[in-house]
Amino acid sequence: MGKTWKHIAILSAIAVFLTLIGFPLFYPVPSPPVNEVKYALTALSLAEKNESETFSGELYTEAKAYYDSAIISWQKENKKSRYSRDYNKVVMFAGLSAQKANQASENSRNSSSNLDVKIRQKLNSLNNLVTDLTEMFSDYPLTQEIRNHISKGKFLLIESELAYKENQYKLADEKLQESENLLTSSYEKAFSNIRNYFRSYPEWKRLIDSTITVSKETRDYSIIVDKYSRKVFVYLDGEKIDEYSAELGKNWVGDKRVRGDKATPEGMYKITKKFESDSTKYYKALLLDYPNNEDTANFEAAVAKGTLPKSAKIGEMIEIHGNGGKGADWTSGCIALTDREMDSIFKIAKIGTTVTIVGSMNDLKRVLNR
Amino acid sequence: MKNKILMGLAAIVMVAVLASCGKKPQVQIDATNAAITAAKTAEADVYLPAEFAALQDSMKAIDAAITAKEGKMFKNFKAEVAKLESLNTLAGNVTNNVVAKKDEVKKGAETILNDIKAVVAENAKLVTKLPRGKEGAAIIEQFKADLGNVDAAVADAQASFDKGTYMDALNKIKAAKEKADSLNSEMKAALTKAKIRF
Repeated sequence: MGKTWKHIAILSAIAVFLTLIGFPLFYPVPSPPVNEVKYALTALSLAEKNESETFSGELYTEAKAYYDSAIISWQKENKKSRYSRDYNKVVMFAGLSAQKANQASENSRNSSSNLDVKIRQKLNSLNNLVTDLTEMFSDYPLTQEIRNHISKGKFLLIESELAYKENQYKLADEKLQESENLLTSSYEKAFSNIRNYFRSYPEWKRLIDSTITVSKETRDYSIIVDKYSRKVFVYLDGEKIDEYSAELGKNWVGDKRVRGDKATPEGMYKITKKFESDSTKYYKALLLDYPNNEDTANFEAAVAKGTLPKSAKIGEMIEIHGNGGKGADWTSGCIALTDREMDSIFKIAKIGTTVTIVGSMNDLKRVLNR
Repeated sequence: MKNKILMGLAAIVMVAVLASCGKKPQVQIDATNAAITAAKTAEADVYLPAEFAALQDSMKAIDAAITAKEGKMFKNFKAEVAKLESLNTLAGNVTNNVVAKKDEVKKGAETILNDIKAVVAENAKLVTKLPRGKEGAAIIEQFKADLGNVDAAVADAQASFDKGTYMDALNKIKAAKEKADSLNSEMKAALTKAKIRF
């Protein structure tokens, strides 16, 4: 009997002991949110691959912060007794991280796709703008600053195309933006410059019509110089009978204002002298009556207004002369022809022959083919 | 009987040992993080961005797995230790590969920098031979502006190269070379059209 009770006591002790040991082992504890965290990490990784940091920075940063919070919360819970752990916060942070990462991915894919389309369109339109600039202003003297901006704009366009080819859309877009700023501002400045110049077209037209009328009425020769096309036209009896290529002063855009400005004057003039080869260093020359009364009045008014300094002197000795054919605008304001063409014009020109110099015989729309 | 009691005690000791034996592999974690930092210092994020991102992703995944195990009663980090050691080796490989990739980029930039010198020199000669003509003067001015910008881009790329930022130098010099080549073709076309030998 005593032995039996002893056995019972031992077995009971073992049972109690095993219960005490087994209880913590088998008591249900909350499961750690392994899958939720894993899903958040996968979503984050995908967002990074979709360049969310670039295209959807805010959402991506939030997603990363939520993921870090999930891990920190998890580590905190791990420090608690396993029976008092609560992973709800970890699950919440992991869920938010995954949600934000997925949104960031989606936004990035959309932004990237939109940017792709936007870049392709902009590349096209800027390449067209470069073609326009080249066609419209290839023979127009633009300032060094504008030329430099056009050049930089074209260079950035190449850089953008290279970045686009390597799928670096953000960089391509940045380069395009810079290029667009330079090219459009250059276009606007160049166009504004030429448009301002062609505001004188009605006056040029009046001078051209008068010259042709004079030729018709006097049944004689008249000469028209078109500065924009660098052409000299010869009229007889109101009809154009000949044309020559001309070279002008370097600063041919605009009227001549002052001596030494290397500009070719605009207006209606008469030939006052004919110089044979022994009287000019430019083969042969036809001297014009520049400055005429109108030029002198304009010059004096400019000095009086202060737009020209008091020390300024009016230009003189404007001629149609030989030694041309250099292929550049090199004169000090005269109109240079090749010697052979000078011979032709010299033969028909007389003292008193009308020589009209205008910016262009065509309006701006026609000049620019628009 | 005595034996049974002893066996029971042994079992308890084993449970206790099993419950406490798996310690967080901090040494391996620190070593792997150091290897990843070394890869970044070697500019893996610039020269091998995909590989570097994969390293970071793997480290995060291992961190999460370790955190998960830390909460368990019986901790066994053997698998994570193996992964950390493997990642450590991989980070070392990436660091070595960066050196090779950097060298490749450096050579690429160096080649274009050398090639472009000849094109730039030829362009400088070609521009002086261009026909001036009616449209010539303005076009020459534009060519000169373009050549000036190519020169500036080459100098910029050379400065990046000298600083050791080879990827930046390569990107810059590629664009400069493309522009220099296109100017070269345009000028040669203009000279051919004007029947001028070059």
